[in-house]
Amino acid sequence: MPPPLRSPSVLSSTPCCAYQLCRTTGQSSRPFSTTPRHDQRVTRARRGLFRWLTAQGENFRNPLSESTNYMGAYDNRVGVLRRVLEQREQIVLDSAERGEASPEKELSAEKSKSLPPETTRDRMPFPLNKAFVSQAVLSEGLRDEIWSRVMREGQSVREVSAQLKVEMSRVGAVVRLKEIEKEWKRIGKPLARPYARAVMSMLPKTPFRPENFVSHESINDLPVHASTGQQIFHPTSESRHFTRLDAAKVFNKRLLPADDRIPHPELVIQHRERVVEELTVQERKERAELRAAEAEEKREKIANKQAQAEARVKKVESDRWEFRFTPINADDAGKDGRGQSGVGWRYGVPLYDRSRGQVKIPTSVG
Amino acid sequence: MSRKRFHGLKRIVPRFRMTWNKYNLYNLSRLMSPNNGGTYFQQKWKAKAATRAYHGEQIREKQWQRMFTSRLNAVVPMDHRYLGENDGSELAAGRGSGLDERGESQSNLKTPYMQMTYAPTERRLDIAIFRSLFASSARQARQFVTHGHVTVNGKKMPYPGYLLNPGDMFQVEPESVLFATGQMKDKEQVKAGREMKRARRVVNTRRAEKRTAKREKALQAIANKKVAEELAGEPTPKASRPIMADETEARKQRKADLQELVKQVKAILENKKAPPPAKRKQDLREINREIKGTMSVLNRKPVSEIETSIDALISRLANLYPSNLFARIDKKANSKSKPASEIAGEAKSSTQEFTAKEKQKMREAVVLSRENPVDESKPYATPWAPRPYMSAFAFIPRYLEVNHNICSAVYLRHPVARPGLAEVPTPFSAEQLQLAFNWYLRRR
Repeated sequence: MPPPLRSPSVLSSTPCCAYQLCRTTGQSSRPFSTTPRHDQRVTRARRGLFRWLTAQGENFRNPLSESTNYMGAYDNRVGVLRRVLEQREQIVLDSAERGEASPEKELSAEKSKSLPPETTRDRMPFPLNKAFVSQAVLSEGLRDEIWSRVMREGQSVREVSAQLKVEMSRVGAVVRLKEIEKEWKRIGKPLARPYARAVMSMLPKTPFRPENFVSHESINDLPVHASTGQQIFHPTSESRHFTRLDAAKVFNKRLLPADDRIPHPELVIQHRERVVEELTVQERKERAELRAAEAEEKREKIANKQAQAEARVKKVESDRWEFRFTPINADDAGKDGRGQSGVGWRYGVPLYDRSRGQVKIPTSVG
Repeated sequence: MSRKRFHGLKRIVPRFRMTWNKYNLYNLSRLMSPNNGGTYFQQKWKAKAATRAYHGEQIREKQWQRMFTSRLNAVVPMDHRYLGENDGSELAAGRGSGLDERGESQSNLKTPYMQMTYAPTERRLDIAIFRSLFASSARQARQFVTHGHVTVNGKKMPYPGYLLNPGDMFQVEPESVLFATGQMKDKEQVKAGREMKRARRVVNTRRAEKRTAKREKALQAIANKKVAEELAGEPTPKASRPIMADETEARKQRKADLQELVKQVKAILENKKAPPPAKRKQDLREINREIKGTMSVLNRKPVSEIETSIDALISRLANLYPSNLFARIDKKANSKSKPASEIAGEAKSSTQEFTAKEKQKMREAVVLSRENPVDESKPYATPWAPRPYMSAFAFIPRYLEVNHNICSAVYLRHPVARPGLAEVPTPFSAEQLQLAFNWYLRRR
């Protein structure tokens, strides 16, 4: 007995739109197959999808020119940008105040004009999450400026960060990436220019305008320390001058005050010297030099330490690997042979590195 | 790997995924705040299921449970002027809580801690690639990593679960990125591309055949020579001697041609204004080598053979430079095609009435078309254009610094929450994320 012919479980009696027709009854690679094509069956859900895609969804198909195009910027029922709707309302109201009957002329004029400027509210890609906003990225001009200040003018990352209001780590990353870009240009490796241009046109950008400066981000972010999470009732004498330093000590004995935990403590000191202590330029300069000398000393100490640690490692080059030999002490294993810093195979101490379930993904790449 | 209904439409509360799919966009538009019905356990379960469908749905549940931490990173932006002018004692003045009400001056924005629930997943390499807009979905990003298209700090990293450290730089092959983010080819273009590839394959096999035939011939010739030497009683006079005058002239001409070719290749190689890419340089050097080889056998081989080899060399050069920079050699083709720069120059000179602006525009258009050429052999539609519905998903969180020109990005720091803003991109509301957070908190 031949198998029974199967037919699609849902037969659409209503005529569907052209798009659906071509999806459902378009040329199939298997015209005689009786297997119902579940994927392309016209269901209510799919009808809803294509209705939405031809109406509101059409806004998202192509990017807007010189603007972001997120779902949060649209009125989901009407499918029009909220700022455009507001502008239209404003025009109608204005014309009513002036006593004009028909604002059609102005409305049509408004349509031909470019879009009204976007605000933070229009930069929410996810309508339900108001706490996530697509924040601006550095524009090409600003990136070039950062690169030239660091590499051409030789300014320090700290200075550039404070001047241009860009995080220090970001300044470093921009220079690093720019250097690679220049290297690619030099060796003739093709850049993904069309892609970069398209992406930058879709994103909000921080422009570089020397005359009208725009801050990119807050550079003095104080990380919230875990030990400050608790509420403490700390009784103290009324006459005590209780400062941030004391407060930090109360939270945790080793916690530093906010002045020392922010990325740019030098800005605080400079401001205090200028505004509170009202020092002269000469005095401030002297102090700054002193601070710089101290910082230099510290840096040298750290560098020396690193150099010493590196000198202890013996390196042997082969054609494929660089072998590094570090001196070890057999006594590191301790009396019971189970010390943390012990090296090699020790009697009775299991080596788990070949057993099941050990994660072999590296934790850092040098 | 992905299930059949990854972007299902049937659910009343749809699953939103980490992709740029249009189905997904539709599901985002249908996404609702959950109505808090059911027991607390049921609420937590639903919230966990909905949020995990977006945040690292490719990560096994146990893996994520190991990554989860109840410590949520946050920062408070400080004003250096305020810190400089006050030492903090003003907050403890009076009865211990400051002299006057500071309600107005202080911003009453709350730090959205709950949106940071899934912050640990953002450290993963595959998700960071998706966030940098290098792939159209987290799963595609994962595939790029496993297929070896991604390097971290210049070293190939085949593990999508690698947790980036602050300062790590990751690079994705630009071709993969263009494929992932570009428009797909339509059927005709796919067919054309396939035909092109087939033609290339045919040419390659033919060339290989020719090469083997030549080698065999050479071997045969050597063998024959040896046999002839063995037989050599009386050396046979060479037959080609009589038509000497004509042939020497031809050989001279061919030599001049070859020298001209060498000059051309040298000019291209040393062109400082538009240096050829590395791959092309290699090709050019190979051509140069072959020209020299032909020159060395110029007086030994028959003229016809040398002529064919010169023709082959010219055609190869012309293939490398379709705009025909070698018009001087190929005198027949000279009148037909000209370099693109010459044409542009003529257009400029012939139309004097163009304003500077228009000229600038034209120049830009020329540059654009050069950067974004039509190339059927690519796996994406050319000229490259962003894929549809990309703009609704295009954002870059602040913990990444991306350079799209070189398809590279730096992971600056772990994502943080700050008053009013959370850096983890998540489509869910704070209530839902809090429920999910509590779900994972339960056994910790």
